[in-house]
Amino acid sequence: MTARVLFERAGPLTTIQDAGRFGYLGAGISASGPMDQRAYRRAGVWAGATGGGGLEFTQAGLDLVVAEGACDAGWDGGDFVLAVNDRLLDWPGSAHLQEGDRLSIRPGAHGNYGYLRFGGRIDVPEALGSQSTSTRARLGGLEGRALRTGDVLTVSGEGKGRRPASVVPMEAGDVRFIWGIHADFFAGDLRVRFNGAPFRITRTLDRMGVRLQDESKVFEGASILSLVSEPVLPGDIQILGDGTPIVLMRDHQPTGGYPRIGTIIAADLDRFAQMRPGTPVVFAPVTVDHAHQLLRRAAP
Amino acid sequence: MDVRARYPQRVDILPLGDTTLLVRFAKGLDDEANLRTIRLAKVLVDDLADGIVEVVPSLVSLLVRYDPSVTDPFRLSGEIQLRLGRAGEAVCSEEHLLHVRFGGEDGPDLEDVAHTLGVSPEEFILSQTTARLRVLATGFAPGFVYCGFHEAWLHVPRRTIVRPEVPAGSVLFAAGQTAIAATEVPTGWHVIGRTDFRNFQPSQDPPTLLRPGDSIRFGAID
Repeated sequence: MTARVLFERAGPLTTIQDAGRFGYLGAGISASGPMDQRAYRRAGVWAGATGGGGLEFTQAGLDLVVAEGACDAGWDGGDFVLAVNDRLLDWPGSAHLQEGDRLSIRPGAHGNYGYLRFGGRIDVPEALGSQSTSTRARLGGLEGRALRTGDVLTVSGEGKGRRPASVVPMEAGDVRFIWGIHADFFAGDLRVRFNGAPFRITRTLDRMGVRLQDESKVFEGASILSLVSEPVLPGDIQILGDGTPIVLMRDHQPTGGYPRIGTIIAADLDRFAQMRPGTPVVFAPVTVDHAHQLLRRAAP
Repeated sequence: MDVRARYPQRVDILPLGDTTLLVRFAKGLDDEANLRTIRLAKVLVDDLADGIVEVVPSLVSLLVRYDPSVTDPFRLSGEIQLRLGRAGEAVCSEEHLLHVRFGGEDGPDLEDVAHTLGVSPEEFILSQTTARLRVLATGFAPGFVYCGFHEAWLHVPRRTIVRPEVPAGSVLFAAGQTAIAATEVPTGWHVIGRTDFRNFQPSQDPPTLLRPGDSIRFGAID
């Protein structure tokens, strides 16, 4: 089964992502990969994906037409309004697409990122073992860039057959973190206030990072030192010189010299990535051991 | 075996999130801490403990990423401690000669830097071509390397104004180091020259040629 898929509209930052390009942080390349990893995997279950990458899109969604052939498709992540030939289908869900079918995705009630995956494999080459697009490093995906209107992707190979993925209820509650490698650079009373203080997601967010509004001015006037550069990871909460907190995400810089007060735990990072601008955020510290228990419970 | 090797200096082993540990030898830039970082990275890669999935050396610290379903931070820091004692003195490293066009359009800040240091541009270029530098770390951007350390008289602060983009191959100078950009990057460092060498070839694996610990010499070309 082979299909040629034409993008009649690609919202900003529609990129090809697979599980990620791990192992190259030492060469200065962050792993990239899906902003919501579990939603990406569930979309793969819906589509019967055999491997390879899928599409990550932002709130704006996309429109595509199957220009030739047929393929299975599945979708998940956040909430979007999806129609095939103007007929509304469930989100998350799946469909078998045939030549001439038009699939359109529009923003829904919540979430920043959705995933569309296919049964077959998207025929773009791997760069350093991965199809994940890093627009920062201009690597992977389609020529290392986001998709544009008019792009055509070929999907080839049989899928494993579409099947429903478990439906995951929206989690709520505090975003849990582990005190960071520079937590001791911050005064004790500031750390106490950080724990439980109200923050808000701002509009300044992308695959590199999410800027937060510090509603109770925890970091206002704090003396923020510039440090020796150290490796950075997704989920790191770094505090800029002017006191602005930024959470570093999948396309983060490989190293950074701003102090990091904490790191969001792996089990909560997908949920954090889906928070829209304006969403209130409260951080709560946990131990590494507790974070591992949560990770086991959350898997896959 | 000397006492220092048996009782290595104190290091900090800290959790960085729930899938990595950071091993930190110093909080500031330090030649010895950088060497120890490079040596430990080598030992950790050569004698991989269960559950380690990635070792990333940086300037004075290194990141050890692990699979939490295989190991835990307590066990892993024990494994790291064991290897600290074995992080020997000699790390096999390569020497590289990189050809650089210093000054002019390729190095617009070179004259300012020379002026700040109170030397002629020629003398400053000589300081670069006679220095034997070490690749301290890769970081900031793909294939971007920090090389150092220069003698104390060569230390200049960064520029006050950040350039939003300098071309790939830019040779940068600040903080007692010379850095080489393999891709277009924003920088607050002084641009002193440019090389045709690119330490980032995504079609090759590994994509970088320079390793932390390698020796670097610059040759001046017109």
